Amino acid sequence: MTQPAISFQQLVTVTGGIEFTMEVPRHSCVAVVGDGRSGAENLCGAALGLNEAISGRSEIEGQDLTKMTRTEALAFRRKLGYLPAGDGLMQNLSLSDNVALPLKFGSNFSDKKIRGRVKVILGALRISENAEARPATVRDETRRRTALARALAFDPEILLLEAPFDGITDRVAGELLDIVLGGEHADGSRRTVFLTAQHLPVSLRSRIHTIYRAAKGSLDIER
Amino acid sequence: MSRWVSQLGALARFLFSILAAAFRLPAAGRKVVWRVFKDQIWFTAVQAIPLVAVLSAILSFLVISQAVKELGRLGASELIGTLLVVAIIRELGPLLTALIVAGRSGTAIAAELATNRAMGEIKALEGMGIDPVHYIVLPRFSGAVISIFGLTILFDVVAIASGLVAAISSGMASTRYFDIVMRSLTYQDLWITVAKGLVFGAVIGLLPSFQGLAARGASTDVPIAASRAIVGSMLGIFMLSVVFVIFAI
Repeated sequence: MTQPAISFQQLVTVTGGIEFTMEVPRHSCVAVVGDGRSGAENLCGAALGLNEAISGRSEIEGQDLTKMTRTEALAFRRKLGYLPAGDGLMQNLSLSDNVALPLKFGSNFSDKKIRGRVKVILGALRISENAEARPATVRDETRRRTALARALAFDPEILLLEAPFDGITDRVAGELLDIVLGGEHADGSRRTVFLTAQHLPVSLRSRIHTIYRAAKGSLDIER
Repeated sequence: MSRWVSQLGALARFLFSILAAAFRLPAAGRKVVWRVFKDQIWFTAVQAIPLVAVLSAILSFLVISQAVKELGRLGASELIGTLLVVAIIRELGPLLTALIVAGRSGTAIAAELATNRAMGEIKALEGMGIDPVHYIVLPRFSGAVISIFGLTILFDVVAIASGLVAAISSGMASTRYFDIVMRSLTYQDLWITVAKGLVFGAVIGLLPSFQGLAARGASTDVPIAASRAIVGSMLGIFMLSVVFVIFAI
């Protein structure tokens, strides 16, 4: 049996009383839907070692990031893609500089190669025309696209997304989900995607392999 | 009291993490950090040059022109050298420069970092594998140290030049002015000034960054962080000035 990409074992996050025990198989898209009281919104942070959990453990590729040194955890996170809730774009950088930032910090690519790569990603996310704008001057949808572009900068195999579809239309959400899945693979999607949300557009449900609902003190498989 | 001790402990750990970060900075990130550092120097040092120069010139002109008249009447013109060196170059120069920068840049650093926290930028950086201490704090800390050091030197040079103008306009020969000043100036004065510039710079780089990152993430924490940063920096600068006086005696 292959190791799951992400796993949670009896994990209780700081905001909720639900005990999360679940796995995210490789090449699958798994969503946890739950409101603020369920603790679902802190699952990505807990897996990445950004939020402390009350109890239980979480692993990514068999690694518990909370057991790593800070330097090791930072290096490990560079291999992943992460979209925080509210996008977390650097307000003093242009959209293209935001996308370039992880590449400049975490790779030895030349400036030319980084510019080329950023251009391709911005084109794929259809934000090229706003490339030099600051986050505060563009629409919510453009900011979300930029944050996603930044998460995809290293073309990671595993993506963790917090509330990726909040504040955007169902049509745009569908387009963004296709981009994050990254195409087909024999076992499912090319990328492994784990996302948390308070609400999932109905049109996306058929494209997500497993949907968990965290509510009323329990975690149930909805689909 | 225990809260103060705990805060001081946290501050010391934070300082250590900044110093350690300087040695652990990934090679790939150096270029980015260097750019942020240059921006910080531009904002903290270069843009503050006119303000520091004008304040230094006015202060020195007022003190020396009054001193030449009053001390000249008592036949103690020689003391203007001591006055310039001890009062302006050694004490007021570093102190006023640090207060100017604390007010201009210290509050800005604290507000910026607290905003970074409130907007989720710090968490996003951590999630991308970028250490916020590397990307945000280290260039601001080192930028503040270098800026205050440079501005303190500028303050002193302008003070001496302005003192010359004041002395000449009060009837003292320029050669006599320089003779008095040079006789009063010792290596110890220069070292104390340099050390103060570096230490005060560290305070202004450290405290606002600490207060900014300590913000809990609400937008209402931004002015609180800025206020705590300026109060803490001013208190730290004055207390360290006393420490310098005690050790210099």
